[in-house]
Amino acid sequence: MKVGVLSFAHVHAYGYVPRLLATPGVEVLTTDPTPWSDPSELRGRNFADQFGAPYVETLEELLAWGPDCVVITSENSRHREFVEAAAAAGVHVLCEKPFATTLEDAEAMRKAVADAGIIFMMAFPVRFSSSFARLRATDLGEVLTIRGANNGKLPTARSWFTDPELAGGGALADHVVHIADLLDALRGVPAASVTATTNAILHTGVARAETAGLLNITYADGVVAAVDCSWSLPDTAPNWGGLTLNVTGTRGGADVDFFGAAVRGVTTAGSAELRYGADLDAAMLTTFLDGVRTGVQPQPDLEVGMRTLQIVLAAQESARTGRTVTV
Amino acid sequence: MKELRIGLVGAGVISYAHMPALLALGKEVLVFSEVGAPELVAAHGGGTVVDSFDELLARVDVVDVATPTFTHAEYVEKALRAGKDVISEKPLARTDGDARRLVDLAAELGRTLYPAQVVRFFPEYAALQRAVAAGDLGELAVLRFTRSGAFPTRSPWFADVEQSGGIILDQMVHDLDIARWLAGEVATVSAVSRSAGTLDEPVQAAHVLLTHTSGAVSQVSGTWGPQHLAFTTSFSVSGTGGTLSHDSGTERGFSTDLPPAAGTGGLIPDIDPAESPYYVELAEFIAAFEGGPTPRVSAADGAAAVRLGNAALESLRTGQPVSLREEVMA
Repeated sequence: MKVGVLSFAHVHAYGYVPRLLATPGVEVLTTDPTPWSDPSELRGRNFADQFGAPYVETLEELLAWGPDCVVITSENSRHREFVEAAAAAGVHVLCEKPFATTLEDAEAMRKAVADAGIIFMMAFPVRFSSSFARLRATDLGEVLTIRGANNGKLPTARSWFTDPELAGGGALADHVVHIADLLDALRGVPAASVTATTNAILHTGVARAETAGLLNITYADGVVAAVDCSWSLPDTAPNWGGLTLNVTGTRGGADVDFFGAAVRGVTTAGSAELRYGADLDAAMLTTFLDGVRTGVQPQPDLEVGMRTLQIVLAAQESARTGRTVTV
Repeated sequence: MKELRIGLVGAGVISYAHMPALLALGKEVLVFSEVGAPELVAAHGGGTVVDSFDELLARVDVVDVATPTFTHAEYVEKALRAGKDVISEKPLARTDGDARRLVDLAAELGRTLYPAQVVRFFPEYAALQRAVAAGDLGELAVLRFTRSGAFPTRSPWFADVEQSGGIILDQMVHDLDIARWLAGEVATVSAVSRSAGTLDEPVQAAHVLLTHTSGAVSQVSGTWGPQHLAFTTSFSVSGTGGTLSHDSGTERGFSTDLPPAAGTGGLIPDIDPAESPYYVELAEFIAAFEGGPTPRVSAADGAAAVRLGNAALESLRTGQPVSLREEVMA
C-alpha cells in the first residue's frame, strides 16, 4: 500500500512518519509544501531525512505517485486545501485534528469527501486506548455527569499552534476536540449547548490566543460535562500533559487517566515520570490502513470531526459573547 | 477569664463533627435540637440537653447553628439579637437577602458571626491557599475543583431545592468559597445541572463556571451520586508560576482493604483525627470570640459564597451566565 504524508507542520508527523515507515507492506512518500509558518523550524526535506523518509517537493508530485491514502498533518487552517486535493485525486484521508477551523471549510471538506466517495478518518488516537474500551464496557447505569481535563504544556515545537489564524484559535481549538471525540464515541449523543470562559494569563507574550479554557457542555439527553482544555502545565513538567475523564452514573463512577501510568521518581535532573502503555498512534494508523485495505469506513469518521468542531466553534462564540451557545 | 459556654443547635451530621471538637476544646456545650439531642450527647459522653432555644440563649455565650439550611437565618438572627456571638453552618443562609441581612445585623449589634466554611480549614486547601498567598503560583489563571459523595437521603430537606439550594448551595458552596478565596471576586457565574435516579436513590450533579474579575477562570463540579459513592474531593490550580493539584482519593495516609460495608458512601470526608478541620475551625472561631486573631473566613465571605450559589441557581433557571460585575465593583 502506498501512503503519502502531507505536510510536517503538525508535531504529530513526528509520530506518524516513523510508524508508517516501520509498517510492513507500506510504501511511504512525504511532502511538506510551502508556505511554512516558521522557516526556522525543522521542515521539508530536512525533516524527512531524519527518518530516512522518501520526500518530494510538491503536492502534485506526491499525488502523481498514485498513493492509496494520505495522512494530513498540516496547519489546522490548511486541512481544507489538502483534503480537497486528495479527494479530487480519489485518495483516502486520515486528517489531523481539529477537523477544520471554520464551518465554511468544514462544509466544503464534507462535500469534497462525499463527491469523491473516499474514506475519511479523523486522527483521534485516545479512543484507541484499552482504558477507553474498558470504560465503554462498564455499566455505570444512567449517565449523570462527566468531567474531562486535557491539559498540557504550551505547544512550542511549532509556532503556528499559538497563531489563531493557522490553528483556528488557542487551547479551545487544540484540546476540546479530544474529549468531545471520546464523549461522542462513548455515548453517541450530540451536544446541545456550550458555555465557555477563557483567558490568556498563562504564557503572556508567547501565545496569541487563549491559553486557559473551561467549558460546561449540556448534551441532548441532559447529561452535563465539565471540560478543562487549558495549556496549564508548566514547561518544567516531566511530560507533555495528559487527559483524564470521570464519568458518573446512577450505578457509580469511573475514572480514566489515559496517560497516567508511569514509573515515578526523582533523579538529579528533577522529578522523573517514565510513562508506559500501549501505542495509541500505532493502533489508530492500523485502523485507518485496514479501512483503506477493506474499503470499510473506519471510526472516527468525518461526521465526528464535524460534531467535535461544532462544539469548539460554540465554545469560541460563548467565550467571545459571554453567552451560553446552542450547538 | 470566664470559659465560654457554647450552645449547639441541631443534632444532625454536622453536630456529630462539631460536638467532639467543642468538647476537646474543653467547652461546656448545651444542645438544643428538635430531634436527636439526647442521642448526640450520649454518643459523645458530654454536653447537656436543653429543652428550648430560648433556654439555650439564656444559658450560653456563643451559639453554633448546625441546623438545616433553610432555618439558619432565623436561629442566627435570634442569637445575634440575644447578644450572642454566632457560628453558622454553611451556607450562611438560603437566600442572598437573608445572608446579607445577617452580615449587616451582626455589624449593627456589634456581634461577631462566622460561617462554617470548613473546607478553608482542611489542611490541603489551607496549604494551597498559603502557597497562592505567598505567590508560589504567580498570577492565577485556571482553577478546577471537584467534590463527590453519596446523595444525602437521610433527611428530605436536602432534596428540596427551596430548602437546601440543592447540590450547588449545600455541597458546591464549599468550592465556590475556595475559588473566591484564592482567585478573588467573581464577575460572571454560569451553571449546568442534571438529576437522575429514583426517589429512593436519587443522584444529582452540577458544574459551575466562574469568571473572576481578575480574569482567572474556575470550574466547580459537584456530584451527589449513588449511596455507595465514596466522599472524594480534588483540585487543580494553575498560575503563571506553576500548578498545584490534590486528590483526596489518592493522597491518603491510611487506607483499608476490607469487605464493603453497607451504605459506606460518604457525606463527610475522611479526615486525619490529629488534624480535624472541624476542630481547627471551631478553635479559630472560639479563640476570636475570646479576643484572639481574626479568623480566615468572615460573615461577608459566607454571604458572598451564598451569592455565588444563588447566581448559579439563577443561571440554571435562565440557561445563561449571570453577571455579578456591578455588585462586586460597587
